[in-house]
Amino acid sequence: MPNSKMKTNPKTKTRPQPAVGQPGGRFDVAIIGGGVVGCAIARALSRFRLKTVLLERNEEVAFGATKTNSGIVHAGHNAPANTVKGPLEVRGNKLFDELHKDLHFGFRRCGELVVAMEEAQIPDLEKLKRQGEEKGVAGLEMWAPERIQREEPNLSTKIVMALLAPTAGVINPYEFAFALIENAMANGVELRVNCPVAGIEQAAQGLRLKTPQGVFETRFALNCAGVFADEIAHMLGMKDFRIIPRKGEEYMLDKRLQGLVRRLIFPLPTKTSKGILVIPTFDGTIMVGPTAETTEDRYDWDTTPFGAEKVFSFVRQLCPSITERDTITEFAGLRPASDTDDFIIGPTRVKGFINVAGIQSPGLTAAPAIAERVCDILRDEGLSFEEKDDFEAHTPGTPHFAALSPEEQEFLIKQDPRYGRVVCRCELVTEAEVHGAVDHGARTLDGIKFRTRAGMGRCQGGFCTTRCMDILSKRLDKPFHEITKRGGGSWISVPMEAPVPAKPEGVR
Amino acid sequence: MGCPLQLVHEGNKIHEVSGYECNRGAKYAQQEFTEPRRAMSTTVAISGARWERLPVKVAGTVHKKKVLDAARKIHALRVEAPVKAGQVLLADLMGEKGVNVIACRTMARVASAQEKAST
Amino acid sequence: MLGRLEKDYDVVVVGGGPAGMGAALGAREAGAEKVLILDREPDPGGILLQCIHSGFGLHYFKEELSGPEYAERFLAKVVDRDVDVVADCYVSGIAVDSDGSKRVRVMSAKDGVRTVQARSVVLCMGCRERTRGAIRIPGGRPSGVLTAGLAQKLVNMKGQLPGRRVVILGSGDIGLIMARRLRLEGCEVMGVYEILPYTNGLTRNVVQCLDDFGVPLHLSTTVTYIHGRDRLEKVTVSPVDERLRPDLKRSKDIPCDTLLLSIGLIPENELSQSLGIQLDAATAGPQVSSTMETSMPGVFACGNVLHVHDLVDFVTNESLLAGRFAGEKAQGIRRPADNIRTVPGDNVGYVVPHRLSPEREHTLYMRCKKAMKPCRIRVGNLLEKKLRFVVPAEMIMLKIKPDILEKFQGDSLRVDIVPDGGKESNGNG
Repeated sequence: MPNSKMKTNPKTKTRPQPAVGQPGGRFDVAIIGGGVVGCAIARALSRFRLKTVLLERNEEVAFGATKTNSGIVHAGHNAPANTVKGPLEVRGNKLFDELHKDLHFGFRRCGELVVAMEEAQIPDLEKLKRQGEEKGVAGLEMWAPERIQREEPNLSTKIVMALLAPTAGVINPYEFAFALIENAMANGVELRVNCPVAGIEQAAQGLRLKTPQGVFETRFALNCAGVFADEIAHMLGMKDFRIIPRKGEEYMLDKRLQGLVRRLIFPLPTKTSKGILVIPTFDGTIMVGPTAETTEDRYDWDTTPFGAEKVFSFVRQLCPSITERDTITEFAGLRPASDTDDFIIGPTRVKGFINVAGIQSPGLTAAPAIAERVCDILRDEGLSFEEKDDFEAHTPGTPHFAALSPEEQEFLIKQDPRYGRVVCRCELVTEAEVHGAVDHGARTLDGIKFRTRAGMGRCQGGFCTTRCMDILSKRLDKPFHEITKRGGGSWISVPMEAPVPAKPEGVR
Repeated sequence: MGCPLQLVHEGNKIHEVSGYECNRGAKYAQQEFTEPRRAMSTTVAISGARWERLPVKVAGTVHKKKVLDAARKIHALRVEAPVKAGQVLLADLMGEKGVNVIACRTMARVASAQEKAST
Repeated sequence: MLGRLEKDYDVVVVGGGPAGMGAALGAREAGAEKVLILDREPDPGGILLQCIHSGFGLHYFKEELSGPEYAERFLAKVVDRDVDVVADCYVSGIAVDSDGSKRVRVMSAKDGVRTVQARSVVLCMGCRERTRGAIRIPGGRPSGVLTAGLAQKLVNMKGQLPGRRVVILGSGDIGLIMARRLRLEGCEVMGVYEILPYTNGLTRNVVQCLDDFGVPLHLSTTVTYIHGRDRLEKVTVSPVDERLRPDLKRSKDIPCDTLLLSIGLIPENELSQSLGIQLDAATAGPQVSSTMETSMPGVFACGNVLHVHDLVDFVTNESLLAGRFAGEKAQGIRRPADNIRTVPGDNVGYVVPHRLSPEREHTLYMRCKKAMKPCRIRVGNLLEKKLRFVVPAEMIMLKIKPDILEKFQGDSLRVDIVPDGGKESNGNG
């Protein structure tokens, strides 16, 4: 009765955790940046007898663009075949089934529909279909309005034609990155968090990366620094490309709308963006967005009234019953788009320094293929790849209690009573799952939230915040007030010290 | 709930109170005019209980102007579980006879850290 | 606080806050033998346990109590009447059998998954707070933006301050009370901002929580932007026009590290919805008969899960009633079906209960849509009552005697709140 996902023994051996307070060291490869690309490369390298370290500036991996990604595994027909990203998109899509089997992140091939709103767009849709077929995307089909209405009855009746791509899927992007890094660490990759690279020097044997945790000497450094990739390249005096962050705002809608659409709904893409979409996320929530606005500020994660207006006025054309009032939360992220508008992957004039930059959409889809490509480049550059005998491809996932059948739930509670205590009522997350998240590397409230969904639901953490903080406080052996939302200065509370209120002004 | 009260006065002398629907209202208006006093509730640190704070209140009232001073005095208290609701934690607050600080909740002693709330 | 969990009950009450405790007591008083309260917290009492301020119990206990005292006293009554109370558990579903009996699925760390049989169920899950997402404030997503209720828990139970420089959005009672609470703990409270032209809290709280502590109240003003990357740094506030549209040109920035949201409460009806119970769009709670029975026979609802109350004493009254009828039903006592529907008319947001019977006295609970003074409540052509004023923040209660309803012929009874037809409104008459 219990499925494979449930074989998790709550008392499994302690998993590797990020090294804290240790000095730098000597490595074959240092990956700069723990987004989904850096994590995918780390995992690919962990198959081989190499000493690899991943340096992440934030408290946890995936806290940059990955966390705010739309969570789509594209079918592969979008990017033209003659771009760097084109073939990587198609190849990436194909690699997901095996990865999913090994790593148990949330992934479902739900299919996508690109819709044409007027007759004049139909040729573009047909062109897209041809482009996909040439690239080897399977199962592309044109749907007439009757078929569209039958399969997706909540879509606008004004849609004149749609292109189905059945191999597109939805994924929890952060879960994917967490699973990749966890598996990489289980296979010997070292992770350093709160470890921004502040300077890079060339040395006789490679490169020296300066960080607050000391100097990391490495033969190869991979620049996977996302929106900061150009700043990292500047450290070696290279100004060949610039990152021009492109902001996307997303709006998450109430669970009440679950099932509104079954597939990803895309308008016809434009040059800068694949448009504003209706996304049936892996967790079953409907999300709408993203916008695409260029920004100079690399920390601009603000949502705006302008963005909301744009998103909702647009998606109402696709799906008329969606309204702003259904929003439960909103967020924005930055696509690390480069000024070439394509991926920049390859060696540079500085020996050992390899760019993996400008990885905007379809970067998540392409990530596994990018990892393969980077391994090839490293091999070409003289790194010897020797397979490990003891590589363990499989990382057990933590069961998501809410997704299990009543019998499976009962079985789990018998195994571990902490499954019987509900920590987050909106998403039905149990105490055992929160402990599981800590076992799997969560160090912040967001780390718990993005691993378990605790705090993602309707009440947005009103109920579970103190519960999750208590567990983190106990498990990390830190006082309650040292627990943060997402590391850095994102503190949540301050202790009541000897509470002596100062006499404030204005007291009558 | 509440009644919009009106009070007519000349200097310190109250001529008339109106607008009240029960005697509480009339008394409140007079009190508020002559010597405004406030009920007070806050919490104090407790150790050995499931929670970190014990709710307390002042039995009686505190002069409005002295509320922050009173808070400072109450916050200096440290309580050890177990404690029973109604237990006097500090007598004669601000030197006023019978104005006591009392516990508002019964809190048992928890044996170990495990029993502390994961809530 | 862990009681036994048996297999069979006359009445199972979901939620151990004031509504749940009231319902359990009501059921026992009506003669139901076996009554069970299920609560998800380690101690029953619900939100009362973090509401440490006084002001509870004036009607029911004839004495002004703090929230924890009210909870403790009520729980003592409940335990005294041999109600089983099981805490630290979670109701993950309710199934209805063909014979009408209910199976309640209970999860807990202690007992695992158990199914409890019940003749009647009373839903007392209370409500949750509206969040930032519900009012869609643009800007960054720093820490330091939280609901007033979460802040209340941090301060009153965890001994933690949510920050040191606080702006409060929304003048609901929790927001006002937290302004005072944080001032007592030495925090700076920069101001309370309310989008409406009037406060949403009780006048007493405006005086004693804001005025006393010099906290300014800004009406017709709202927060229009949140600034900060890691931690909140400031908020932009803007005045709004009569249609509540912000005038961004007259905005200003208020430096702060914390924004508390006190912007309304929503009944928690996920469990009710899973049972297919009909809800009232205006209350977001179940539609109920005069016995507080929902559209699912044998399932009752009361307290904040039914409609959001201002005062716990009224929750208690309503719950005693719901419990009583749930208890009667469990014993097979049948009441004649309610045959009169209540209909909210002019300036009435909602009326609870949704159906009445001429059989006995009723209390109608309602809220107006907009403030009005002076005014009259008109119940069909049966009853009229003058009120000095009505405001949406204060629930209106109206007793209707059975003899009045007996005369009534129709099947729907409209309730209106109209301006008092005195000299002012009929100036020419």
